[in-house]
Amino acid sequence: MIEVEHLSKIYGNTAAIADVTFGVESGEILGFLGPNGAGKTTTMRILTGYLPATAGTAKVAGYDIHTDSMAVRQRIGYLPETPPLYPEMTIEGFLHFVAQIKGISAGDRAHRVETAMAKTNLLDRRQTLIRKLSKGYRQRVGIAQAIVHDPPVIILDEPTVGLDPRQIIEVRNLIKNLAGDHTVILSTHILPEVSMTCNRVAIINKGRVVATNTPTELMAQMAGGAGYELEIEGDLAHIQQALQPLPSVKSVEAIATELPTEFCQVRVASEPGHTLMGKDLAGAIVAAGLGLHEMRRVQVTLEKVFLELTTEEPDAAPTEADSAIANATAAPSEPTASDRPDPAEPNAPEEDA
Amino acid sequence: MRIIVANIVAIYRRELQSYFASPLAYLVAGIFWLLAGFFFTYILEVTLARTTFADASGYQVPIDSATQLLQGFLGILSSIALFILPILSMGLYAEERKRGTLELLATSPITNWAVAVGKLLAVLTFFVSLLLPLLVYEAIAYSTTNPPLSFGVIVLGHIGLVLLAAAVLSLGMFISSLTDSTILAALFTFALILFLWVIDGVGQEIGGPLGDALAHLSLLKHYGNLAQGILDTSSLILFASYIVLGIFLTAQSVDAFRFQRS
Repeated sequence: MIEVEHLSKIYGNTAAIADVTFGVESGEILGFLGPNGAGKTTTMRILTGYLPATAGTAKVAGYDIHTDSMAVRQRIGYLPETPPLYPEMTIEGFLHFVAQIKGISAGDRAHRVETAMAKTNLLDRRQTLIRKLSKGYRQRVGIAQAIVHDPPVIILDEPTVGLDPRQIIEVRNLIKNLAGDHTVILSTHILPEVSMTCNRVAIINKGRVVATNTPTELMAQMAGGAGYELEIEGDLAHIQQALQPLPSVKSVEAIATELPTEFCQVRVASEPGHTLMGKDLAGAIVAAGLGLHEMRRVQVTLEKVFLELTTEEPDAAPTEADSAIANATAAPSEPTASDRPDPAEPNAPEEDA
Repeated sequence: MRIIVANIVAIYRRELQSYFASPLAYLVAGIFWLLAGFFFTYILEVTLARTTFADASGYQVPIDSATQLLQGFLGILSSIALFILPILSMGLYAEERKRGTLELLATSPITNWAVAVGKLLAVLTFFVSLLLPLLVYEAIAYSTTNPPLSFGVIVLGHIGLVLLAAAVLSLGMFISSLTDSTILAALFTFALILFLWVIDGVGQEIGGPLGDALAHLSLLKHYGNLAQGILDTSSLILFASYIVLGIFLTAQSVDAFRFQRS
């Protein structure tokens, strides 16, 4: 539905985006991920015909964005970063106006406006002046104006920014409902949003697309994969001696903690391509005569993938702060993870005794 | 073609609606009517006094007081418009830029010039609607004059005023499209119009072919022609040129500025 090929946009000497290439299949939701200033908005503006590209082409629904700009514009619904609203108009009046300039015939207009308002839950406020709406409602009107002409392609620039948590959930559900009938590109820098709403992710950094894949595969691809965090009674040298020989173990690193000296907390990373099994680790620790106090599985999060792909330093070793974020977001997957170490746990107290 | 007309109508209606919803527009209208009313009575009294004086002193040449009233009033109206029009045109694009709605217009299947034409027609309609109440008391005054004033002259004078307003608003629209500050747009428009107002005098100072050319660009001179009931094609062409130029530059600048800014 959308094919972007080698798109570049150069302002003076700086390239806002360079050689951006990606594609979106019909009915998909593509998450456009990147730090602020990475070129997300620029790419979207080029696709919507707001900006011309310096080089490269893109096709939307089979039409070239440069030569068939009007045809493309007709087939795109676009929500810019700030919703484009006229404060002195009512919701309904505004949507009528948008439907009109998007080329919807007079006969269809009322029906389309009605549908858009129903989808965005605006029916009860239809006669309210936009000036009087809260931020959440304005965002909804912004989405309504993007879908009022029922375009095959919808482009949303940071649709959930500035909303409260409940509104965010509403907007996400709305976007998910749009998929299927529409092809959606949405940009964000909120990572969980991507794993929740998108079928595919394009990570963009400094104007270049550094990865495109499904969120799950992206996480699986990353070196390290899943790992464990262990709290063990014993010193680091002994622990490393015990665990390093396991074929699936890539590294055993100490994590700085304020534990008493006889305890040690380590992070075990798995070798790519191997599955690190909790029972292997527990077995090795028990066999070495060390006391296992705590065992926790740590999943690679999209945050980590994102940081690894967008951080400048060649050594992308996660800092303390990063791992704190990673742990925090790994929390939801823990119920299943904490089940696994269980068989090992009973052994540990025995060793202590 | 039908789509283009529909687009222009859509822009026109939205723009006009925003004028009628804007407190500033009502303030402008109020001040305009107040000043126009004040000056109308003032000119009326002066003309009457002069006629009475002429009659009393047994002046032989009859004074055409109706024409004097019309010309005096049209002159005053154009001067008031000089201040009013930049305020009406300042928000045309500057507001759209500020609100981010220009992005909506620019990503809709609608051409820049259709937007510009729709907006210009809307603001011109608003200005004409300001003139309508004045026509009522003008009509009352002119209907009492003897000999009666030629209807054609009255109409031509007012058409001149509308053309002048259209030219000024068109240029003001262009200036508004250059900035997202309405105040700056109003100030620069005022400066430009003032310059075009007095360029006649500048041209006479300079003299020669350049002076003639400059003098020909004067808004006041050509407006004066029409207000006197002289239908000069060159005046009509000049106003039309200003209008088209303003629309053209607006359409261009909207594109150019979009490309420059990220």
